[in-house]
Amino acid sequence: MKPILEINNLYKSYKSIPALDNINLSIKAGEIHGIVGANGSGKTTLMNILFGNPIIHETGGFQGEIIYQGKKINFKNCGEAILNGIGMVHQEFALIPDMTVGENIKLGREKTFAFTDRLFGRQYSFINRKQDDESALQTLIQLGISIDPGIKIFDLSINLRQFVEIAREIDRTDLKLLILDEPTAVLNKNDGLKLIEILKGMAKRDIGILFISHRLEEVQHICDKVSVLRDGKLVSQYERGNISINTLARDMIGHIVTKAAAGKREILPQPIITFSHFSVEMPGEEIIDLDLSVYEGEIIGLTSLSGHGKLALGYGMMGMYPVQGEVYYGGIKIANMDAKANILQGMYVLPDDRQGLGILADQSVENNIIFTGNQVKNMFRIESFFAISGFIDHSQARDHVDKMIQDFDIKCSSIYQKVKELSGGNQQKVCIARALTVDPKLLFVAEPTRGVDISAKEKILHMLLEINRSRNTTIVMASSELDELKRVCDRIAVMAEGRIFKILSPDASDEDFGLALSGEEGVAYEEL
Amino acid sequence: MKNYSIKPPQIIISAFLITLVFLAYTLEMNLVILFNESLVKLVMNGVLVLSLIPMLNVGAGMNFGLPVGIIGGLLGMCLAVNFRMTGFHGFFMALLFSLIICALLGWIYGLILNRVKGREEIAGTFIGFSFIPLMNYFWTLAPFQNREMLYPIGGQGLRPRISLENYFNNILNNLYVIRLGDIEIPVGLIGFFALIALFLYWYFRTKIGRATIAVGENEAFSRLSGINIAQTRLIAIIISTIIAGFGICVYTQSYGFIQLYDEPLSMAFPAISAILIGGSTGKRAFIFEAVLGTYLLQSMYLLTVPIANEILIPELTEILRSFITYGIILYALLVRERRRNNG
Repeated sequence: MKPILEINNLYKSYKSIPALDNINLSIKAGEIHGIVGANGSGKTTLMNILFGNPIIHETGGFQGEIIYQGKKINFKNCGEAILNGIGMVHQEFALIPDMTVGENIKLGREKTFAFTDRLFGRQYSFINRKQDDESALQTLIQLGISIDPGIKIFDLSINLRQFVEIAREIDRTDLKLLILDEPTAVLNKNDGLKLIEILKGMAKRDIGILFISHRLEEVQHICDKVSVLRDGKLVSQYERGNISINTLARDMIGHIVTKAAAGKREILPQPIITFSHFSVEMPGEEIIDLDLSVYEGEIIGLTSLSGHGKLALGYGMMGMYPVQGEVYYGGIKIANMDAKANILQGMYVLPDDRQGLGILADQSVENNIIFTGNQVKNMFRIESFFAISGFIDHSQARDHVDKMIQDFDIKCSSIYQKVKELSGGNQQKVCIARALTVDPKLLFVAEPTRGVDISAKEKILHMLLEINRSRNTTIVMASSELDELKRVCDRIAVMAEGRIFKILSPDASDEDFGLALSGEEGVAYEEL
Repeated sequence: MKNYSIKPPQIIISAFLITLVFLAYTLEMNLVILFNESLVKLVMNGVLVLSLIPMLNVGAGMNFGLPVGIIGGLLGMCLAVNFRMTGFHGFFMALLFSLIICALLGWIYGLILNRVKGREEIAGTFIGFSFIPLMNYFWTLAPFQNREMLYPIGGQGLRPRISLENYFNNILNNLYVIRLGDIEIPVGLIGFFALIALFLYWYFRTKIGRATIAVGENEAFSRLSGINIAQTRLIAIIISTIIAGFGICVYTQSYGFIQLYDEPLSMAFPAISAILIGGSTGKRAFIFEAVLGTYLLQSMYLLTVPIANEILIPELTEILRSFITYGIILYALLVRERRRNNG
């Protein structure tokens, strides 16, 4: 069969950082083509290009060619893509909550009364709701679900919403290519299977399907062909029959030669903090019912795909989001998550969102480093009868900041330079310096090397190791950079769907990590 | 003042001001008297402008709810007049009464603003709008005793304009006036202004002051650093309200009449306009910006009246004033929106 979509030498970069590099793909009509890849592998960019998301054009377009139904295409907006018969089911629902199921399914393709068509023109014609609802119902029955098309979307469960979204696409008679972005992520196993059956049915109608998923098992089960993306490159392709979960997992992570920066050592299993049935309601990064003991003096890595909860732990402890469950710190139960009290107890959080949470961009390096220590622990305060006013003892502060700048090699013109003028790596060093100023016993670090250049990366990892070894600070390091975690951590906890899925040793194989990240049971793993 | 750059509003106003001075000179007006008056005008309005700073810096935006503080100050003065306190004693007691009333009003105002985080400006506008009619009832019904304050006929309800002639009219204006030839420098008045400015300077260097700026700049950061956001905001709003109360006291002693009823309604806009002309972005403000902006705006107001009377129809002054006052606020909103869009 002839290919419905052909992608040749596709290249796309954001601000000269390549997001997609030399991608070649071809999808036949009636084929279900799976795309797997870790975060940042370029899946979203690929979809945005195919579906004509305006962001692609705003950031300078793409290079290479996309041939769709024999024509070269370059959609400037989603409307063009839809007109050409491309449909998309989004990970976040693109449904209008205040409208009914029927209206959502028929949106843009409403049946209208012929009389008013002639009177006012098609654009301003009255909608024939009855016919619309009937036709929507037909589509829903085709999907094997029975709901009243008159129900409003916000009254539906997440599962049903996913099906309505799919129904909207199936309802289109002109559909040639359907892109699904993690359609089963919110579905339970049974509904997931049901969806897979529907997709198979659609493929029989010669619709090309691009199926993006983290669930490797599903991909193996449903896809005729699978492409693995990693760091914007197409690393491998497998035909049905040759698809194995283990090889997919290995390709997703990629094999990177690592030298262990930290030697292996024995950590006594003496918990400094214990989470029991701990949940954090951080939107998009929920932790659900987590059980974990962090041992005193260790560096424990937390990793997961994005949206599976690795970032929420520290924020939860600082009371940034509502939490449930119990936390015992040094054997004592923490009653409420109050940032000030917990910092005083010796915890500290280095946030992943540096610009949003990590720095005071408009203030000096000095102010940034001493801020928390000064506010929470009353450090650097003039000790006189004015102490209550809290004026800063600038010479004391300057000495401390100078030492930090020297120790961590923070590149700034002076301690009075504004932090926003520093590079990402130096900003992160300022954050770490601030953390050290309060001298925490337990440090939560999230994505410490995100947006940092390679040399600063090494320095930052080294700093974390140094803090751990010399001050015996326990570090919980949440990161999606598995390679880095393997180099510094004593244990690595892999999270899936908000829970600890498995705790692996840093020298476990990439395959094991890949499987654990996807929430699949591995063949063999070493449990610590 | 580090990192200070001149922005379009200042250029426009300065250019306009220079034109006006030039016109005044060619029309043979007495520039010295105008200069003397400009100093008085600076302080008269300047304290109200300074009062905006804590709220701007804590991230609660431009205080369109300035009438809240103003009403506190008016009430303080009314009490002082009612008890027939005159001279310095009277003015001091008026300030003291305002302080207490404004602290209370500011606390309530702050609690409300903490519930509408992110929309303080529009909420403040309507708090002002709804508080004034409420106070109009109060002014008519409150049991004040001093006949000089009450309507002459009927003897009930406060007059819209209460003369301070027998109380503390111009008490600061006439305090230590240094005369250098024709130039008069009201040292007492400027001293009071400097005192408020110094207090603010000091406040932003205390621990709570630094927390205030941090909350305004990055609330999430501050929360992560264990700062009590609600409390910090509340304190800044209370301080703003208290200074606004002092501001109206200074304004009134200079003006000579306590203006009640709907008068506070229109006072927020020139003050906000002034701080924006000074170069504040409406997100962060410095004392210097408040002083510069007030001086530019008030001098311009001062000069337009005689000049317009001389060469144009008199009504044009009012038109120009309103246009500039409101236009500048609109300009600031546009600039802020553009910055937000540019990240």
